[in-house]
Parts: sequence; C-alpha cells; structure tokens
Amino acid sequence: MKRLRLFSYPYLFWNALLILVPTLILIVLAFSDLSVYDPAPFSFTLVHFAIFAQSYLTKALSNSLVLSIVTTVICFVIGYPVAYFLARLSEKTRKVWLALLIVPLWANMLLRIFAWEKVFTPGSIFTDIFGLELNLLGTHLGVVIGMVGMYLPFMIFPLFSVLEKMDPSLVEAAKDLGAGDAAVFFKVTFPLSLGGVVSGVIMTMLPAMTSFVLPARIGLGKINLIGNIIESKFMKEVMGSSSLSINVGSLISLMLMIFSVISFVIITRFDKEGETLI
Amino acid sequence: MKKRLLRNRYLKAIGGILTGITFVSLYLPIIMILILSINDSSRGYAWEGLTFKWYLRLFTDDIMREPIVNTVSIAILSTIISTILGTIFAIGIHSLEKKHRIRMMIMNNVPVVNPDIVTGISLMIIFSILSFTLGFGTVLIAHIFFSLPYVVLNVIPKLKRLDPNLYEAALDLGCSRFGGVWRVVLPNISTGILTGALIAFTMSIDDFVITYFTSGNEYMNVSTWLYAALAREGRSSLTPVAYAYNTIIFLMTIVIIVFVNLKKERKERTA
Repeated sequence: MKRLRLFSYPYLFWNALLILVPTLILIVLAFSDLSVYDPAPFSFTLVHFAIFAQSYLTKALSNSLVLSIVTTVICFVIGYPVAYFLARLSEKTRKVWLALLIVPLWANMLLRIFAWEKVFTPGSIFTDIFGLELNLLGTHLGVVIGMVGMYLPFMIFPLFSVLEKMDPSLVEAAKDLGAGDAAVFFKVTFPLSLGGVVSGVIMTMLPAMTSFVLPARIGLGKINLIGNIIESKFMKEVMGSSSLSINVGSLISLMLMIFSVISFVIITRFDKEGETLI
Repeated sequence: MKKRLLRNRYLKAIGGILTGITFVSLYLPIIMILILSINDSSRGYAWEGLTFKWYLRLFTDDIMREPIVNTVSIAILSTIISTILGTIFAIGIHSLEKKHRIRMMIMNNVPVVNPDIVTGISLMIIFSILSFTLGFGTVLIAHIFFSLPYVVLNVIPKLKRLDPNLYEAALDLGCSRFGGVWRVVLPNISTGILTGALIAFTMSIDDFVITYFTSGNEYMNVSTWLYAALAREGRSSLTPVAYAYNTIIFLMTIVIIVFVNLKKERKERTA
C-alpha cells in the first residue's frame, strides 16, 4: 500500500497550518506587543509577565490546580472500581452498561451545566420535585460535584478499555502461583492498567482545569479558574481599554499548553498511536 | 473462607454504591432537562403540570430557528467533510513506514488531548492573522479540525486488521490505484468510518467552546446562543424551548446510534 502514502501529505500541511503556526504565533504574542488584528511591526517585551503579580490570576491558578486535582482524584476513586466491575461483566451486559455511560454525553454540555445550577439552587424545581435542598451555588463543593458529573465518563472509558483487553489468564497464573487477591490486584492488574490510568487522569484533569462555563455558572463568578481569565482576556477585555489583553491571554494560554505538552508526552510514552484515546 | 466471603460482600457493596453514584451524577442533569422541557412554567421554579407546548413552540416560534439551522448545517457539513478527509488521511498515514506513522499520529492526537479552550484560541488567532471574517466559514473549518482526528483514530485500527496483500492483489488484477481503494480497502474499513462519522457528528452538534472562540459576534450555534442568552438576561430566564430542543436532539442521537450499532452488529455477524 506504499503508493497510498501521498494521501497523508495534505494532512501534514493542514496540521502545520492549524496547530504549529498558531502555536508559534501564540508564543510571539506572549512575548511581544504584536496585534493579531493589525500585524504591523512589533517589538519583543516581557511586560505581559506583570500579570503574574495580580492576585486574581494567582488565585485562579491555584483554584484550577486544586479543583482539577480534587475532581480527578474523586473520579479515579469512583471510576476505577466501576470500570473494573464493568470489564468483568459478560459481553452483552457490558455493552448495555457502557452505552448507558455514553448516552448522557449526548446532551448539550451547557444545558447539563444549567441543570446542575438548578439542582444547587434552593427553592428551585429540584426542591419542588425531589424535596431536597442543596444550597451549593458559589461553593467549591458545588463546582467539584458538577465537574465530577461532567468528566467522570472520561476517566472510566480508558480504564475500561485497558481492563477489558487484559488477558484473564494472567490473573489466574498469579493465583496459581500463590498470590492473594490484594497481591494479584497490586502486582498484576493495576500495573497492567497503568496506560488507562494515565489516559483517564489526563482526560479528566485537563478539561477540568480549563473549564470556564461550569465555574462561572455554578461558582456564580466567585470561583474563577484559569479558563475564565483566558475567556475574559480573549473575548471581553478586547472590546475595552486594554488593547493588549490578547497578548496577556496568550501568555496565560501558553502556560496551559505546557500542561498539555507534558500530558501529551506522558500519553505518548504509554500509548504511541493514541489507541486509548477513543 | 468465611472471612473471604464477607470481604467479597463488602467489596460488592462498595462497587454497587460507586456505580450508583456514577449513574446519579450522570443522569441527574439529564432528568432535570427532561423535566424542564415538559413543565408548564416558563420560569421553571416549580412543577406546574405536564405540557408539550415547548416542543410545539420549537417548530412554530422563531426564537431559536437560526441557531438551530446553523448547528444542524454545520454538524452535517463538517461530518461529511471530515469523514471523507479523515478516511483518506488515515489510509495515507497507514501506508507510511512506522517512524513517520507515529509522528503523524502524534500530530493527529494533538486536538484530542489539547483542552478545547486552547484549540479554540489557537484557531481564533490563526483566523485573525489571516484576516478571515469569523462566521460560518471559520466555524466549519474549526469543526472539521476537531472532528478529523476522531475519524482517523477510528479508521486506523480497521486498516491494521486488513491484509495489505489484498490491495496489492487488486492492483495486480488490473484495478487502478483508486479503484483498489474503492473496491478493496473501503468495504473493509466501513465500520470504522461509520463510527468516526458518528463521533464527529455528536461532537459537532454539541460543541460550545471551540465555536465560541471561532464564530465572531454574529454567527451563533445553539450552544453559543444559550450562553449569550444567559449572559444577557441572567439566571432562570432561559426559555424551556431550549430544553425541548435538547431533548429531541438527544433522543434522535440515541435512535440513530442504536440503529447503526444494531446494523453493524448484524453485518459483523454475517461477515
């Protein structure tokens, strides 16, 4: 099939134009006074780094880190046993359960967030029907619960896909050789599922860290994450006085990109062709 | 032995509880959306009786027509284009030697791993630099961009299972280069293409973040329209028509996917 190689060349160009070039521009923007709307001559500057002295940014950074780590840990603690349980079901029931996990993702993300907002509003329709009053708007707990509800499937899917493919005879062999249940799990099952753990952690943590609608709605604007700052720099402040807000936003985005590059390197080490990503 | 049984029972109970938490956290919002779409109250503070008027108003009122038309047309176009291009690229990537193939796959997976917000602003920046007017065109390119990798990821495993000699045999028997792809390769990877197309469609129809950054001020899909409506009018002002729309799209997606999967299963069983 060697002669079909040329089919892949346009993709190289497409990705270069839409991934590589914007990344380079983003780096230039972060370190200069270049304007994206008027690319006139520009000069390099480090003035945008002043943003790191702003308390709203450091607060948003720590919020992003803490909330995304807490969310990821909760998702892992819930998700691993669930994935393990699903992977041991018969093929037919497994398919049904898996479908039930995927189905909620087809509802609009924004409406799911608004629905959580209603759940957390005391005296809303949720209280009226279920008789429960959860006053969690504007709290960290509310944001974390919302995030777990949004991102849990992204933890379960990769875990499930490695656990499902695992050869059951390995577990039997370990048992025959005298390992107890705990030893089998920690010495055989868990190490073999590490690729899925890595994908799951990254696929949960990155979206949680960068979400902005969820913290804005459920956090009532009081709990800002890094995504909220980026949104404001690119979409809101552009209209206002600070014409260089895009450059500041680029600098912050660049920091996020460092996280994604690290994640990416880790994923690629475990899974060269990204087979756990679907 | 008794101890072990007891422990197994504990483990089972914990597993059951965690599975319960999972499903509650996933389905609670869905149930809320469903309830709000059939509740006879425009503000949605309390249950005021069953109605289907919001579903009716979805078709009679104009309020959401434009964003719905935009969402559906972008989803259909971007699915068709990214499925065709993704299949071609996947065949090309699969034919590369290992080192280049892995490099291409790493590139391919960048938009999958990258947070949506990073993809969104990257595209916004390149469109601004190229002086593209943000709107239908840029949103379409953006949707093709984030859908393509999923098509490629679904087609490649099917290509790996295909015996490369089949294609060579087709060529030896007189097929042209493209004829061989059409008659031998495509029929064998069709299930992967279909899965890729379905993922592309479901991602496009619900996308918010990337559309938000690449659509400009005028062009809106349902998600960005919802976001703007909420920002403009504040909380609890969202029209229940939006919930009705979402419920319909949601049910349609389920029907399409169940149907396709049943067909696929039958095909795989007979094959």
